[in-house]
Amino acid sequence: MQTRSFNLHTIIEKRVLTQATFILRMERKGIEFVAGQHIQVGPSNGIHTREYSIYSSPEDDYIEILVRQVDDGLVSPALNKLGVGDSVVINDAVGYFTIAEELIKDAKFLFIASGTGISPFHSFVKSYPGIDYKLLHGVRYANETYERDEYEAGRYLACTSQDKEGDFHGRVTDYLSKNPVSPDTLCYLCGNCDMIHDAFDILEAQGLRPENLFTEVYF
Amino acid sequence: MKIAFKTLGCRLNQYETDALAAQFKSNGYEVSEQEYNADIVVVNTCTVTNQSNHKSRYVIRHAGRVNPSAKMIITGCMAESHAGQLQNKFPDATIINNKGKSAIFHTVDSLVKGGNTDLSDKDHDLFSYQSFSGMFHTRSLIKIQDGCDNFCTFCIIPFVRGRAISREASKVLENIREVIAKGAKEIVLTGVNISRYESEGLKFSALVDKILNLDGDFRLRISSIEPDRFDEHFFTLVGHPKLAPHLHLCLQSGSERILLQMRRMYSAKDFMTIVERIRSVNPNFNFTTDIIVGFPGETEEEFEESMAIARRVGFGQIHIFKYSVRNNTRAERMAGHIYEKVKTQRSKRMHALAEELSSAYRAAFDNTEQRILVEKWNNGVASGYNDYYVPMEFDTDNQRRNRFEVVKARVKDFE
Ligand SMILES: Cc1cc2nc3c(=O)[nH]c(=O)nc-3n(C[C@H](O)[C@H](O)[C@H](O)COP(=O)(O)OP(=O)(O)OC[C@H]3O[C@@H](n4cnc5c(N)ncnc54)[C@H](O)[C@@H]3O)c2cc1C
Repeated sequence: MQTRSFNLHTIIEKRVLTQATFILRMERKGIEFVAGQHIQVGPSNGIHTREYSIYSSPEDDYIEILVRQVDDGLVSPALNKLGVGDSVVINDAVGYFTIAEELIKDAKFLFIASGTGISPFHSFVKSYPGIDYKLLHGVRYANETYERDEYEAGRYLACTSQDKEGDFHGRVTDYLSKNPVSPDTLCYLCGNCDMIHDAFDILEAQGLRPENLFTEVYF
Repeated sequence: MKIAFKTLGCRLNQYETDALAAQFKSNGYEVSEQEYNADIVVVNTCTVTNQSNHKSRYVIRHAGRVNPSAKMIITGCMAESHAGQLQNKFPDATIINNKGKSAIFHTVDSLVKGGNTDLSDKDHDLFSYQSFSGMFHTRSLIKIQDGCDNFCTFCIIPFVRGRAISREASKVLENIREVIAKGAKEIVLTGVNISRYESEGLKFSALVDKILNLDGDFRLRISSIEPDRFDEHFFTLVGHPKLAPHLHLCLQSGSERILLQMRRMYSAKDFMTIVERIRSVNPNFNFTTDIIVGFPGETEEEFEESMAIARRVGFGQIHIFKYSVRNNTRAERMAGHIYEKVKTQRSKRMHALAEELSSAYRAAFDNTEQRILVEKWNNGVASGYNDYYVPMEFDTDNQRRNRFEVVKARVKDFE
């Protein structure tokens, strides 16, 4: 059996983005991955781990995750208590929410995220310079747009449901209904299940073929 | 020295038991599926649901009661996930996890000959089981893959079977050639998640294509597969005379929302597209499936969606699982767990439908000419499965097993 082994990784940087959201940069220690994959991460003194998409690119010599603390959760609050010099346990990267190599150069992509569901898209964008994408990011408030300056001008669009400070006021699904997507687009959807479910229906109704819709459900 | 094997759960477990039994047999042991009088009993456990755990424990206890002097070896997925608990309950047993399973012959042989078990922590080769034919099954199970990286939210298998890994295509083909030479008539591909098969760039459909092009009078059954990786190549193979017109295509739910919550990697629409494309080549193609009822948050309407898709497909058989919590899976932590009473009631409704659909599907084959692989003969009646995986029987004096017969036959136990 190829067992899944957990290894200790030291936190080398922590970036606090909002009161509840932060990025942990950890030693890479040889973890192999493809952009879009996830790892299981947990505090080194506990027995619990959770899945986190990798935020950084395979080119980086560190590994990063973007975490939102779920207040009544178990692992995310524990991760939030950690700082530089502390350790976490991480196992091998897995997952199929990846882009087939032959498509990267020529295809047109629409990335649709809710909240921290932006993480694999950050990794895509960092990993594939020149990729033709548009990124729709559904958040409640404009301060949750995380590191939006990382994306080329005009490619990132924040849909804010609770304030009007974003690029579009409303949910990503409202935006999609009002701005139909061309059927030759490859759509990647990541984040909470309800958003993905509703967006999937809208996109299908707009003529996108199911085989061109890729999903990664967080919760 | 007599060794008995008791096997629970999936085809992969059956394959591994058969392969181990063949190894013992070729080394002079008497092998059996009956624990009575055995010197050693090997229980190959399953942990996919709570019920599998109960059954595994029952089989171990029962074997211990029938034959208290036998040396008990416990292996398989429950030995992986509940090693401590099993050791406490059965202190005299030797627990061998999945990693050590393929080396059980050496472990047991050293126990028999030297008095102690040579348990090693080394990674044993998952594909080192020797090739065999005609052990406990007439059909020849061939392992092409092990492990799973899908991590469906309800499933414990990725934790107990480890990472997805594929067996080299040349080794698979060599193994199949060997069993065909030994007389195997039906090859069944097994693994934890065979649709993810990939070895040196060769994917599942390409492997199937190569197998179909091997010489010999055999049929290939794909058996249990996930609907998430069907490519164009696969559809070109449907209708091949050596490919059995049957897939156990795992649906799990007919509700798009529940499929997302399960983190399955296909939609109900994708599932139907596969069914329709295959049925356009062969309208009688048999689809059997697994369905989970009472997944956390499943509403009555969502359950009805599973019933509706089952009706649309007309499954030849449905394995129905009441959702059962597995420790440390994501579904365990989901809101909206369904009361046992509701799960039981949904399960009963699904069972009633499954029976109705199975009878309707099988009716078309009753008293028709079919090619049957004879597996059993009893009192003048031979029985086995036809190409479509419908159990059939016919009257004959020929007692020989493991032969194809094209004959007018009855559907077995058909009312
Ligand atoms: C493939 C995959 C990748 C993921 N990647 C990320 C990521 O990059 N960043 C990230 O922050 N999370 C990610 N998650 C979610 C993450 O694994 C945990 O579920 C999350 O951090 C909560 O864990 P917890 O132990 O704190 O809460 P738990 O104790 O596990 O859960 C408490 C409750 O909160 C709900 N819940 C889970 N996640 C959220 C959420 N984000 N918002 C609101 N409620 C939630 C759960 O359904 C549960 O009912 C991912 C999940 C998956 C399956």
